[in-house]
Amino acid sequence: MRRPNLIPVGAVAAIAIVALAVPVLGLPNPTAMSIAHRMAASSAAHWLGQDEYGRDVLSRLLWGARVSLPVAAASATAACLLGTALGLAGGYLGRVAELLALRGTDVVLCFPPLLLALLVVTILGPGAATLIPVLTLVFLPGFVRVVYAGVLSVRSQEYIDAMRVLGAGRLRIMLRTILPNIAGPILVQYSLAAASAVVLESGLSFLGLGVLPPAPSWGLMIAAARSTMTQAPLLLLWPCLALSLTILAMNALCDALRDATDPHRAPDRLPRRLLNLLASGLPPAHGPLLDVRNLTIEIDTPDGPIQPVRDVSLSVAPGTTLAVVGESGSGKTLTGLAVMGLLPSVARVAGGAVRMEGQDVPRLNEAALRRLRGDRMAMVFQDPLSSLNPVHRVGAQIAEIIHAHRALPDSVARDRVVALLRRVGIPDPARRARAYPHELSGGMRQRAMIAMAIANDPKLLIADEPTTALDVTIQAQVLDLLAGLKREHGMGLVLITHSLPVVAEIADQVAVMYAGEIVEQGSVAEVLARPLHPYTAALLRSAPAEDGSMPDSILGTVPPPHALPPGCVFGPRCGLHTALCDAARPPLIDARPGHGTRCIRWRDLVAVELHPCADERHPRAVERHPRARPEDQPVQARCQTVGPLRVSRDPRVEPEDDGNGAAAPEDDRNGTAVPGDDGDGAAAPKNDWHGAAVP
Amino acid sequence: MRWVIRRIGVSLVLVWIVASIVFLALRCVPGDPAELLLSQGGAAPDPAAVAQLREQLGLDRPIWTQYFASFDALLHGDFGNSLQDDSPVATEIWRRLPRTLELIAASTVIALITGLPLGLAAALRQGGLFDRIASWIAAAGLAVPLFVVGTLLVLVFAQGLHWVSAGGYVPLAQAPGRHFALLAMPAVTIALGLFATVFRMTRAAVLDVSMRDYVRTARAKGLRHGRIVIHHVLRNALIPVVTVLALQLGTLLGGTVLVEYVFNYPGLSGMLVEAVNARDYPEVEGIVLVISILFVTLNLLIDLLYGVLDPRVRQA
Repeated sequence: MRRPNLIPVGAVAAIAIVALAVPVLGLPNPTAMSIAHRMAASSAAHWLGQDEYGRDVLSRLLWGARVSLPVAAASATAACLLGTALGLAGGYLGRVAELLALRGTDVVLCFPPLLLALLVVTILGPGAATLIPVLTLVFLPGFVRVVYAGVLSVRSQEYIDAMRVLGAGRLRIMLRTILPNIAGPILVQYSLAAASAVVLESGLSFLGLGVLPPAPSWGLMIAAARSTMTQAPLLLLWPCLALSLTILAMNALCDALRDATDPHRAPDRLPRRLLNLLASGLPPAHGPLLDVRNLTIEIDTPDGPIQPVRDVSLSVAPGTTLAVVGESGSGKTLTGLAVMGLLPSVARVAGGAVRMEGQDVPRLNEAALRRLRGDRMAMVFQDPLSSLNPVHRVGAQIAEIIHAHRALPDSVARDRVVALLRRVGIPDPARRARAYPHELSGGMRQRAMIAMAIANDPKLLIADEPTTALDVTIQAQVLDLLAGLKREHGMGLVLITHSLPVVAEIADQVAVMYAGEIVEQGSVAEVLARPLHPYTAALLRSAPAEDGSMPDSILGTVPPPHALPPGCVFGPRCGLHTALCDAARPPLIDARPGHGTRCIRWRDLVAVELHPCADERHPRAVERHPRARPEDQPVQARCQTVGPLRVSRDPRVEPEDDGNGAAAPEDDRNGTAVPGDDGDGAAAPKNDWHGAAVP
Repeated sequence: MRWVIRRIGVSLVLVWIVASIVFLALRCVPGDPAELLLSQGGAAPDPAAVAQLREQLGLDRPIWTQYFASFDALLHGDFGNSLQDDSPVATEIWRRLPRTLELIAASTVIALITGLPLGLAAALRQGGLFDRIASWIAAAGLAVPLFVVGTLLVLVFAQGLHWVSAGGYVPLAQAPGRHFALLAMPAVTIALGLFATVFRMTRAAVLDVSMRDYVRTARAKGLRHGRIVIHHVLRNALIPVVTVLALQLGTLLGGTVLVEYVFNYPGLSGMLVEAVNARDYPEVEGIVLVISILFVTLNLLIDLLYGVLDPRVRQA
């Protein structure tokens, strides 16, 4: 729980203190009448004047707080205690208790609260003594539900089991472990109940069914002032103000407590992306379809700006495929979003250019971007379930992208949707078009997503992990489809993936990203056969091997963008790391024609690869402490740290399924090479069988 | 379809539970209600009169007989006779129910046609001047109790400016203009609190939905801004708004009690206050029952609306 906003806390505390201090303030008796001074204006003795019986208004106002607030506090406290007890019992004592506690209190919810109060008042008669049990009853179900939900979420957790094993009694478990965990929601519920009790109490008193005269109560004062409001409107105003301000303070306290206890609270204010008024540059006559130059993306965080993508340059020619490969958090998805002009509002392009058919995407206005998106360029997003709108039919969502860019009659668009769904291999496409996203399987959603992206035959398709959720046959089918689109329409494809077999199968160029920068870039044949960066080499080693042996893992994790190491970002995980690597951020150098690397020791890497010992397995312990070795060791010793590079020889001949399947998590059917799925920003890999999560 | 039938079945059970509770509650009164009714003023009541009243209320019969008899009567639309003037309670209820329903409908419509667009506008310009002003108004709308709003409206518009009369009711057929003029103030009073809730929920839901992946997909499709906002953002934001509307129903129905009293509006809820004051058991029983059934029915309608808005619900 964060510290709540202190203003409403202070306001409510001040009101409570005033109510407590009233008897010692030396105010006139709030019930002492003085008919001679009926509705007297304010005076030195009576600051706010006197009411229709000549009673002191200020005194009644302040004493009124002593009626309203105790009723509110008493009923909220009683409901809280009783509700917590019932909720704990319902959540922890078994089915019968659960039924009684939950369904029993739910009955209360069949009545509107004020109506329930009136029913009880009819039976018990009006008065403050009736109000407290009534309000307790009204608020009870809320507490029971909050506590019950809290118990359900906590009771399955391991530490409860641990306590039970240690021999703790049930009651002790409940009180000691569960209560602190649900204290936040209970506190919020308590403040809600108290605020609502003040409203209900004043309403009932106003009707003459709550607090009985002559006791001072704000509701009663308002009711009394109503009859004289034309002569003395101020008599009406003061209790209205006192009541409204008290409720306002209590509501604000509820909001503050909710904000403080809600773990998912959104940041207060998102910085807005400034509209870029600069005109887009003149398009060059000829050139690549997509040309990204020195792209840097910046995100403002409370601890200052971070750059999750730095100095990225890419280019895609029509009819070719560029694969962008890297671990989670390497910045590849953000790069794709920047190309589409779809960066989240907290992120912005801080430097460089993104040219799509010569147009500078970050500088286009929204209207120009809109014409480009979905038509000339399209994107297949990673998670098809969350990326499809849950309340619209799949067919309608695909038809929408057609209608957005083509003036076509509905029937033609509908036929085209069915044809598209058939094209991506969805059986019974006419029926699936009428389904909602949640009614389709994961693979079908993915294919519907692809159908949507290719609906207008885009010139550029950015596919973010398009085959992750698919099984091997469908995956091959989708890759064939993408290859066909490339051939037929000269479509350029940017394939964001962590699967090296997919890269080998479909890509022409490959860019390997690590911690926000491109560490190696070149043709697929070059890069996969002769990697010139230790990270690429390690990636290749971590791909499943043809002989069925366990692949090597890359120890450690990608550094988060706010804690990048000095010099080479891969340094801390690198076997070839030397002091020189930390001196400066290495530039991307062309080691061979069209083959760039950010490793200053790429020559040593080549030497290691050629060394005879490269084909032997080595003790992992050596790898865990790469820095323990003196840097000027002979190649012979150092090569152990780099490890065997057999896989890198030619990954294309690797079989799709390699006997490692049993060890691999289910969603890694397509021969994952890099740990974790790409959630850009989530640094911790999910599949730690790769060992990547172990520092 | 099975979901709809099941939901209707649950509502019927709820109505039965409510009716039983109301029946039992009034018979659980400490002491004898007949004696209690006649003993006002502190004097011991006349035993003959008590016996007569017991017979009239059917209190002399065994409780199970009373229970089944009252259910049988309920099924035939008979709520018994008022203790005040011995007229049938049902007749008066049916006469007043449409007025309360009209009040509820009018205030809900007012709250929705103001709360939804303003909430959307505030969210789209989050943190802007309009957002801040509207959020403050909504916070005030939540803080000022209904009867305070009503009383102040009467003070300003009826007593001060003399635009409308302080309250009352004219049937629609008699004078349509005056009918709506008199409906306006009570409807606006109830609508203010509801507006605040709808506004806040719409604003929060739009902000939440705008961050969803499918909105990014909609942008990636190159859709027009207006279409994204209406078709993708607002369409999904309506779901939590409807949820919160359901939660507010109880407050809404309770609000009619106070508002009808303040504006002297002859609806069902105003009748309830009189009945409670007079301890008119058959009338209280009848009205609480009808309003509770109304509550359960409105909840059912909102649940069905929820199913229309969210296709995922229909499966569950």
